[in-house]
Amino acid sequence: MQKTLPTVNSGLPFRSEGFRTVVEALDYAAGGKTGFNFFDGRGDFSESLSYADLRERAVDLAGRLCGAGLKKGDRLAVIAETTPDFLTFFYGCQYAGLIPVPLPFPMHLGGKDAYIGQLKRMMQSARAAAAVASEDLIGYLREAAEGLQTPMVGTPDEFYRLPAGKNGLPKITEDDICYIQYSSGSTRFPHGVAASHRSVAANVQGIVNHGVKAGPGDRCMSWLPLYHDMGLVGCCLTPVFGQLSVDYVATPDFARRPLTWLKVLSENGGTISFSPTFGYDICFRRAGRARADDYDLSKWRVAGIGGEMVRADILERFSETFAPSKFDRRAFVASYGLAESTLAVSFAPLNTGIEVDAIVKRDYSLTGQAKPGNDDDGENAVRPFAFCGGPMPGHKLAIRDDHGNDLPDRLIGRVYIWGPSVMNGYFGDPAATKNVLSKTGWLDTGDMGYTVAGKLVITGRGKDLIICNGRNIWPQDIEWAVEGLGGIKRGDAAAFSVEDKDGAEGVVVVVQCRATETEARSQLMREVRAAARLVAGVDCTVVLAQPRSLPMTSSGKLSRTAARENYLAGRYDAPEADMGLRHAAYSTLTAAGGD
Amino acid sequence: MVGTAAHDELMGELAGMLDKLNKSGVKITRATDFNADLNVDSVAVMDFVLEVEDTYDISIPINLLSEVTTVGDFADVVARARADN
Repeated sequence: MQKTLPTVNSGLPFRSEGFRTVVEALDYAAGGKTGFNFFDGRGDFSESLSYADLRERAVDLAGRLCGAGLKKGDRLAVIAETTPDFLTFFYGCQYAGLIPVPLPFPMHLGGKDAYIGQLKRMMQSARAAAAVASEDLIGYLREAAEGLQTPMVGTPDEFYRLPAGKNGLPKITEDDICYIQYSSGSTRFPHGVAASHRSVAANVQGIVNHGVKAGPGDRCMSWLPLYHDMGLVGCCLTPVFGQLSVDYVATPDFARRPLTWLKVLSENGGTISFSPTFGYDICFRRAGRARADDYDLSKWRVAGIGGEMVRADILERFSETFAPSKFDRRAFVASYGLAESTLAVSFAPLNTGIEVDAIVKRDYSLTGQAKPGNDDDGENAVRPFAFCGGPMPGHKLAIRDDHGNDLPDRLIGRVYIWGPSVMNGYFGDPAATKNVLSKTGWLDTGDMGYTVAGKLVITGRGKDLIICNGRNIWPQDIEWAVEGLGGIKRGDAAAFSVEDKDGAEGVVVVVQCRATETEARSQLMREVRAAARLVAGVDCTVVLAQPRSLPMTSSGKLSRTAARENYLAGRYDAPEADMGLRHAAYSTLTAAGGD
Repeated sequence: MVGTAAHDELMGELAGMLDKLNKSGVKITRATDFNADLNVDSVAVMDFVLEVEDTYDISIPINLLSEVTTVGDFADVVARARADN
């Protein structure tokens, strides 16, 4: 029987610097004994793939892909299930000079049609020349590829049976694109982040050497999806650059049995594992299913948090609950990052836990000042935000106002970053690239925050993006789905997120409703909830409002910010919604679109 | 499959497990839609799937879940997974 791959390498010195491409990093790691381990939904070991085996399979596949006529720079879309096949294709593309495009897998009950549409739009945007999915998912992929210019669609086995390549493999340089990742943009208009080997090498070596300070004896554990930057870069590329073994639990298995995360960490001595806040939250909520001292988490030295706002209160509950399992709260490491900067931007220092800055709510919402305070309630009530550390070496950070002026410490503005990790642009989309990336290489992250002595604090988002359970959700996706319902017109829906008093995020959809009968209104509310769940997998609060009560900007676009303010002020509760909100003619909204 | 004693028994058991999710008290039939009729949140659905998997010692593949919209669809998926076991 196969055994899990070792934590400590033999016959190969630890090396974490000087790799210029992913190919160089895997070539080196393949000289050792470490690699990827796969665990099932109950946390039992099922199989492994050493870096040596991975390299051999990847090189073999690369030869076959090139032999089949795929050219350097062609895109190969592959559904990113957590399997040896996905890794073989991802790394096979690296050797073949092809650009892998990891695609999501279906996660929602009844989400089949929305999922196929999503695959189609991503493959279309990437102009994929080939597409791969497992036996389980190939039917969806074939359906999505219908009518697209994607000549090769098949299962891994079908690709492995292509004739072996006769010619050599292309040379891979730092300027080549390493992958395209679709976590940006709405599902309707996806933007694929194109990451070069240069930015991947810079970011990953920053993570290994600066962020988590990895070394021999470290072991990674991940249940994060491999089509998302935290999973792909953090848990599939980073370990290769540090020759670290990784233990994987597939994301759908984690979703059903979150405590599998802790079981695998405990039984295999994992030292580094990241999750959005919600992962820690769901473990805390399910803790009743296990005894708190079931686990030994004493080796877990980097319990990273990223991907959404770091919530100190939730993390505190997690650490209290699992203290009997020897979880050390100093292991928490708050981080900030985004796919447009490969993955990581900043890390809080190691071995210190979460450090919060409590700032006065009133000042921050009225004047944009992050003024420290200590009152629990009343006029000067405070809200805690986590420090996410300073930018990684070689990178710069700036907080700017709406006019692009740099702001001093403790003033809230837009977060900009600069450095070698920043993407070249969105694939095939210069207009979208220009919106976020300046000529001098500064990236507008779209997030809001402030600094204190070089340490970054993220306070929210400048855009209308909704983040729910670690997933980015574009409000347009929900609005468009709602607009497709009977009796609802374009511009009738506004989706936005609201925070409860603990800072937890919930989704609200305000829908302009013409019907007056109670039965029709409650039927519509059910349909809106169902539509939001199907398209985005979120549960939302539905509010029915009078026609023409949704606020618009001066240019006639829907203002989600104003809709949120109205909602919070209770203006949608009464049937006689504020007539002062009729800023713009309804026709203007219809003409301008909701975006 | 539908109409057999084994299927009726399975439907009865699933309806029992769905009871705590069924806040609005709708009658559970094969046609009951998880999204539109039961109005349950996604975490609760995952809990329900987990309970079903544990009860019958089966594993339900994700691709099949994405095709499930009604309780009847779900019962068929469960029946298939049990037959494969």
